[in-house]
Amino acid sequence: MAQVKARAPVKVWQDVVFAIFIREIRSKFDDKVGISWAVIQPVSFIFILSFIRGRMDGGLTHTMPTFIFMMYGMIMIQLFLSTLASTATAIHRNKALFSFRQVQPLSAVMANALFEILVKVAVIIVLWVAVYFIGVEMRLDDPLMVLLMLLNVWLLAASLGLIMALAKEFVVEIDKIRNLITRPMFFISGVFFSLQDISEQYWPFLNWNPLVHSIELSRQAAYSGYQAQGVSLTYLNLTTMMLLITALIFYQLSWRQVVSR
Amino acid sequence: MIELINVCKYYPSKLGRQYVFNNLNFTIPGGHNIALLGKNGAGKSTLFRLLAGSEYPNQGQVTTPYNISWPVALATGVHPKMTGRENTRFIGRVNGVTDLEYYEERVKQFAELKQKYDLPVRTYSSGMRSRLAFACCIAIDFDIYLIDEAISVGDPKFRRKTKHALLNKSKTSNVIMVSHELDDVRLFCDSAILIQHGQLSFFNDLEQAIDIYEAN
Repeated sequence: MAQVKARAPVKVWQDVVFAIFIREIRSKFDDKVGISWAVIQPVSFIFILSFIRGRMDGGLTHTMPTFIFMMYGMIMIQLFLSTLASTATAIHRNKALFSFRQVQPLSAVMANALFEILVKVAVIIVLWVAVYFIGVEMRLDDPLMVLLMLLNVWLLAASLGLIMALAKEFVVEIDKIRNLITRPMFFISGVFFSLQDISEQYWPFLNWNPLVHSIELSRQAAYSGYQAQGVSLTYLNLTTMMLLITALIFYQLSWRQVVSR
Repeated sequence: MIELINVCKYYPSKLGRQYVFNNLNFTIPGGHNIALLGKNGAGKSTLFRLLAGSEYPNQGQVTTPYNISWPVALATGVHPKMTGRENTRFIGRVNGVTDLEYYEERVKQFAELKQKYDLPVRTYSSGMRSRLAFACCIAIDFDIYLIDEAISVGDPKFRRKTKHALLNKSKTSNVIMVSHELDDVRLFCDSAILIQHGQLSFFNDLEQAIDIYEAN
């Protein structure tokens, strides 16, 4: 009979997250296109939209090629929206698994968040190659900053997702609210515009949104001549950290009830 | 030995908290094959899930040095879109099985799924699903197996095989069982825990417990 080994708690978490990770891939992509669709779909969406927008004015937006300008916005917002959508439903979808003592709700959320960031890394690599071949000038002045922005957006989305996934177990309607508030995010996060294009008196309506900060700052990091205005790294970092801590506190308080329902 | 210390378990409802256990202190002795007896709604399944770690008490704790199985009933954690083999691997990984290949083959053999083992579970009949779930559990070495109605799945031939496997298991490890089938209970268990009004009482003699259970 199959032996079971005694594992350290960290190892249990690793095994469980990995197992759920594989399970998510197998159950989400069971058609012929398979997992490649997870990359093809966002790549084509981002590429086509950025390309059309780039063609429309054909030149530069605040010193950076419009194509690249759009791409940063699209990648960030897509990373945010897809991570939020998949983590916010992760707990509900994997409810049956909590019968196993080893599986805790957080492992399902972690597996989903991990999957989303890996997909986006693949998307970025494919887009990078595409940009190289169409010959757009591509600069990356401060790659570490761009990575930090990606990490920020990812953590932000995962924390919000965790909060919503937990809340959903107490308030069923939370999904509808999530749909309502994520819809406009695409248009108010600075994907199509820069804060520089908007007169300063209207900034307060937009710059509460940490995504505006992350998108502007990542453009700034890639093209140091971009001169992003009205955004702050401190604000972004603090928001992310606060949300992450709030999410973890909420999790610690409520996961036992969530498992029981 | 499984210790329940100050366990409170309730479910919230429109009518306020529905207590299943309130301040329960109890020690389930080791080395026994135990039947959980009690009327419908007495808290058998709740106790069962608390022991398995599938649910947690609202207060207090359940501690044990033993390696306890998950509640086998129905097809716990089996995903319809994945094949039997993939589901087996998932369960193996979660439980920390050392040799996954060997485990896969054991399950395949026991569940008698033949080549269907590599087809998605949604193409299985309900009997086959429960067979897979049961095989996944019995193929792992646990100290204590938690058995629901799982032994009454499948056709008579598989049921005989299940009983045989469980009887073999009960020599080396222990079984905690919930069943309304007293014949099954008599076959596997030597002692019983009676659940009445949120309190537990242990009976070393199974027949004595059954008498009280039936008298109520």
